Amino acid sequence: MPKLVLKFEKSILQEVPVNSKEVSIGRSPDNALVIDNPAVSHYHARVFSEDGRIMLEDFGSLNGTFVNGQRVKMVALKPGDSVAIGKHTIVVSDASDLDGFAVGQGASKAAAPKLNETVILDTKERRAFMQQIAAAGETSQVAPARMKVPTLLVRKGRTNHKEYALTDKLTVVGKSAMATVKLKGWFAPRAAAQINRRDDQSYYVGAADKTPAVNGNPIDRPTKLSPGDVIAVAGVELEFVYRD
Amino acid sequence: MNQGIEQTPMATEIEFGAQTDIGCVRESNEDFFGAAPELNLFVLSDGMGGLACGEVASRLAVETILTRSRSGDLEPASASSDGAITGVSAESNRLASATRAANEAVHRAAQNSGTGQPMGATVVAVRFVGERMSVAHVGDSRAYRLRAGQMEQLTRDHSFVAEQVRQGRMTEQEAGNSGLQNVLVRALGIGPEVEVDVSDELVLEDDTVLLCSDGLTRELTDVQIAAVLGECAEAQEAAERLVELAKQAGGGDNITAIVLRRAAKPVGALARIGRLGKWLKNSGN
Repeated sequence: MPKLVLKFEKSILQEVPVNSKEVSIGRSPDNALVIDNPAVSHYHARVFSEDGRIMLEDFGSLNGTFVNGQRVKMVALKPGDSVAIGKHTIVVSDASDLDGFAVGQGASKAAAPKLNETVILDTKERRAFMQQIAAAGETSQVAPARMKVPTLLVRKGRTNHKEYALTDKLTVVGKSAMATVKLKGWFAPRAAAQINRRDDQSYYVGAADKTPAVNGNPIDRPTKLSPGDVIAVAGVELEFVYRD
Repeated sequence: MNQGIEQTPMATEIEFGAQTDIGCVRESNEDFFGAAPELNLFVLSDGMGGLACGEVASRLAVETILTRSRSGDLEPASASSDGAITGVSAESNRLASATRAANEAVHRAAQNSGTGQPMGATVVAVRFVGERMSVAHVGDSRAYRLRAGQMEQLTRDHSFVAEQVRQGRMTEQEAGNSGLQNVLVRALGIGPEVEVDVSDELVLEDDTVLLCSDGLTRELTDVQIAAVLGECAEAQEAAERLVELAKQAGGGDNITAIVLRRAAKPVGALARIGRLGKWLKNSGN
């Protein structure tokens, strides 16, 4: 079965098989291949099988998808093709022999001598890679106007603003001093709900003194927000969107 | 927005309980914990390294964070200072900075030990200011929040298997059975610099916060932990029960648990000193 191998410089980051399921590619963590870099669109492209061929489709991404140096919209891929997205490369591999991957093999080697003890995987390559990621992040922030800003739009209810850019990792909805989305009214709860940006860069809404509903369904655990989701809690409705 | 608004730190009252145990297999306890109750700051660390280096590393990590936080509070936090993390409160930035100092301290100690032994430590540290809690961590020691019977893990492990799960290459179950659970991808002391994960969290009056080393979570499920936290009226009792249960379940590693609750009623100074005494007694074993 052919595979897609996501690489950054010389490091292999991820491998996914191309089977009947399509492989979505993008910055958003719900993609099958996640490229966590601001130069990559949230839903950038996809790879899928059609009539025995492997097809690549770019979703009209801002910075484009390149196959062997050519910007493409939709092409058939063949083994050995190199797909460039941002500074990352996806290599189409025919190899069923590529069972392991660099990180995994390194880890088992490192761990082998004494498995009872905690060991640390900290290769030079990994460190160099982290630095490159950091550097790439900085350069792509040159065009901040193009970055989409996660935002809550107030659809209903009494709040101190009509919209809130979610710049902080924690956003509290309520009457409390630490609330960003300030609720008005005598009976408003101190903390009705909370929204956290977790380390996957996604936003999750969770219950506080009240249990919010997302798109009409009361949540029973912190719930990941998708664009267009509407949070209803304590008499207000907030729509989660990414704004230009 | 949290930044810029310097709230007068409310007199937050935190009820805390803590317990640590060598477990049933290991020959030394490399876990260490400490607190600065006047700052509502609680720190747990799990050390690693041969020839007693693990014990040195975890202790040094905890003590550096406590010391730094005490002295750091005398200086105003500067938002533009090096390495400031955006999107989190000034307290969280201070805690991250203290954690980076702990990394430097452990790293330096490893370099100067002359044993050639690598030395490292995980750390999880929390600090309460009013309803807000700052969380900083490196490695696989965890912070949980129990709210309305639901456990939520507030930290993500910097471990190889956790990374595999996040990238969809391993299921939770595979990770739980993996022989590579001991492989960390981030720890204090390994390099001259470390990336510290930091966040702000909301803590309500009825919430319980748990800090623990992997010796606890390897033995007990979230459901078991939530049950104990829900049953025990006292934080100290909960910490002791958790550690005892983890030992009964095998105790394959050192086990440490810190249970924290926002006290519903103001607690008198005497009660506080009494608790501190108990804490010191427990941490001195």
